[in-house]
Amino acid sequence: MTQTREYGRRVQQTPPDYSLCAGCNSCEVICCLVHGGAVSPSRRRLTVRRDIRTMMHTVYSCQHCADHPCYDKCPKKGTAMKLTPDGVAYIDESECIGCGLCHKACVFDPPRINYVKSAPKETRRARKCDMCFERPEGPACVQWCPVRCLFVE
Amino acid sequence: MYGYVGKIARIDLTDGTVTEVPTSKYVPENIGGRGVCNRIFWDESRPGVGAFDPESILIYMTGPTTGTGIPTGGRSVFTGISPNSFPEQYAWSGIGGMVGAELKFAGWDGFIITGRAEKRTYVCIEDGRIELRDASELWGLLVHPCQRKLEELHGEGVQSMVIGPAGENLMRNASITTSNDNVAAKSGFGAVFGSKNLKAIAIRGTGDVRPHDIEKLFELRLKMGNPYMRPSPLRREMTHGMDGNEIPVEGGWLRGQVACSHGCNQHCNRLMVDMKSAFGDGRINQVEKCVGIFAYGFQEDCSWTPIQNYETERNHFLACKMLSREEPAPDKDDPHFEALFTPVRGDITNYWKPDFDKGSVMMDMCNEYGIDKWDVIVWFMTWLSMAKKEGLLDDIDFGMEVDVESEEFVKYFLDMITYRRGKYGPIFAEGMARAVRALGKEKYGDTIYRGRYSQMTGERIDVPVSLETAWGQSYHWQGRGFEATINKPGWIATSLELMNSTRDAQTVAHHHEKYENYLEYKDDPCHSPLLVESIALDENKAEIKDSVTCCDWQSPDLYWPEMEAEMYTAATGIPMTAELLDEAAERSRLLFRAILIRDFGRDRAMEVNAIFPTMLYPDPLGQTVEWDEWNDLVDIYYERRGYAAATGWPTRATYEQYRLGDVADALERIGKTPE
Repeated sequence: MTQTREYGRRVQQTPPDYSLCAGCNSCEVICCLVHGGAVSPSRRRLTVRRDIRTMMHTVYSCQHCADHPCYDKCPKKGTAMKLTPDGVAYIDESECIGCGLCHKACVFDPPRINYVKSAPKETRRARKCDMCFERPEGPACVQWCPVRCLFVE
Repeated sequence: MYGYVGKIARIDLTDGTVTEVPTSKYVPENIGGRGVCNRIFWDESRPGVGAFDPESILIYMTGPTTGTGIPTGGRSVFTGISPNSFPEQYAWSGIGGMVGAELKFAGWDGFIITGRAEKRTYVCIEDGRIELRDASELWGLLVHPCQRKLEELHGEGVQSMVIGPAGENLMRNASITTSNDNVAAKSGFGAVFGSKNLKAIAIRGTGDVRPHDIEKLFELRLKMGNPYMRPSPLRREMTHGMDGNEIPVEGGWLRGQVACSHGCNQHCNRLMVDMKSAFGDGRINQVEKCVGIFAYGFQEDCSWTPIQNYETERNHFLACKMLSREEPAPDKDDPHFEALFTPVRGDITNYWKPDFDKGSVMMDMCNEYGIDKWDVIVWFMTWLSMAKKEGLLDDIDFGMEVDVESEEFVKYFLDMITYRRGKYGPIFAEGMARAVRALGKEKYGDTIYRGRYSQMTGERIDVPVSLETAWGQSYHWQGRGFEATINKPGWIATSLELMNSTRDAQTVAHHHEKYENYLEYKDDPCHSPLLVESIALDENKAEIKDSVTCCDWQSPDLYWPEMEAEMYTAATGIPMTAELLDEAAERSRLLFRAILIRDFGRDRAMEVNAIFPTMLYPDPLGQTVEWDEWNDLVDIYYERRGYAAATGWPTRATYEQYRLGDVADALERIGKTPE
């Protein structure tokens, strides 16, 4: 990751003195529900990394890099990985072959693309935040966070 | 299948086998959670088994809402033979955290643990694969280091349930701990883990949990508990504690609010940041709920405000608002406003002075050793304080001067009992009820403490140093002991609920009642079918909460009786009404009672004699209950439940009404249905 990287609009977590993540994982749950109707660690498009000792949790979501290396690495670029007119890279799961190259290409640690390698091949898909671009209300995780610790920047 | 994921694992620790049981064998008839556990235990256990025997089965179940995102559905439940009940009896223990959801992501609705592992073992669940692993690296670790070790072994994000040294050493009030310091503590099932050589269960799942009605789910998320949906900042508080225990904290302390379980829309638990640790110089964060506040200072008992129990349509709010301080503004135009919101100060107890650091150390030791905080704060430490003041400890040499004001002594004592050190460690590791009997109950249990005063009358309140109520539990919202200042109709209700139970029922059956009903029976609660109806309602709602699942801090909402049924239907797609859910709760309670009758000798004499003596001590207004009036109440209750008055045993007709004819047949064969 370089300091000069540019990002698009993305979901960010507030500092705890504005609002502390309650660790309820509602953002993951809601994300799963609005995107496919089932809740699963494999289906979430953002991740709550829980600190079991401090109980201060971190929400990781796609930063929507302007140069979108994940998109560039997709072997089905334009079909499985697409771009919205605003430059948001998103995955068409019906076309995704589950190769995981986008996950590998992510410049962040942890990678912001959810890819569960251990999932059965027939259901293995990469999933990433698409900013809920089809929802007029914007990202559902932001809308439904009970403590408003997520926002769009 | 919606809501459920379809199978329950039977894990035999003796031979290492894992078999699958279809969840459909038990649902929808038994709903989920505790309802399913009760059926399994009835089917599979037998009389004469002790909590620590290899034959003792421990059952863990989620509910159909678990993992779906329906608020409070993250709760789950253990049941089994409780080593902490006195005598040992079948009991339950709720637990939050992320484990229930993770287990369902792994494809399991629950598990049944049987047998005893030959070597120290932990169970690893990774989706459909369940294996027993060597726990020699984990054994001896404190709770959080054990959780961290499991993350090292299985990767970040693995969910776990672990025991600490207390469970390993069969301390009868040992807890099972999951993330966020959420525990199954009340029944001492951590010691059952220990007795089975089971240190932990690590879970990782990647599969789906599919709720049926997502639109309804979103509606429930907005309606249940009336969530604030506003920022919840980390705040610096300059004082800690309540009422007479409030203490200024130099430089202040940081308070946050966190959720207890997966997918909830509330943040009831209080996160205390940068607190003093009992282990080394590092600072720690820890979670406080309810009784934890008293670790930091206990000069005065918890106050009581009638709105906590009695509600009107214009003024009612859920307990989830309490520690997050998000109570709605009261409606002062309510004609009952004054009566509902006038607080009643708790008794002066003079147990220990406020000490912020010592309280933090006490909490940290409970967390790391895996001990029920309740038993430490309200049982051991209060007893030590009172016993010392009454001169009962003059002949006892703990190896250190007894001083509950001293951080060093608190550490020394908890260390001694956790590791069963010295002469007295093993005695107190058996829990207070058994310890006072080992020492001599007449002196060490029944001696009256002469330092407690009612702030309502100014009179001294003569309650024994043991604070013991039925089934080896300490008083809880019972007019004596901890949270004593509830009024007589209130403690009559909670005491009857305890009588019917095997453990403190107030963690899941806090008494809720419509104020208009209370006004009908307040002067003669023991002869009121209306009061009995409210007890039945709260008891049934407790079954429902632990079965659907839901939590005691959002349920029941007396002005939204269909809430749990709506949750259930949203999760499963199976039509449900409050009436049908109530019927399932009756069935679950009947199974619970049948287990107690078959395996633990439960009858009227046993339960009335367990609870009645504990109500002869005065409440803060000096009130007690007479033998005849209590038995009149028991008569009304038994009739309401369909039990025979003489024995307290449900009639065949009652079992059959709830489709439990097979249970009636089994009990009839051993002569335990009424003539």
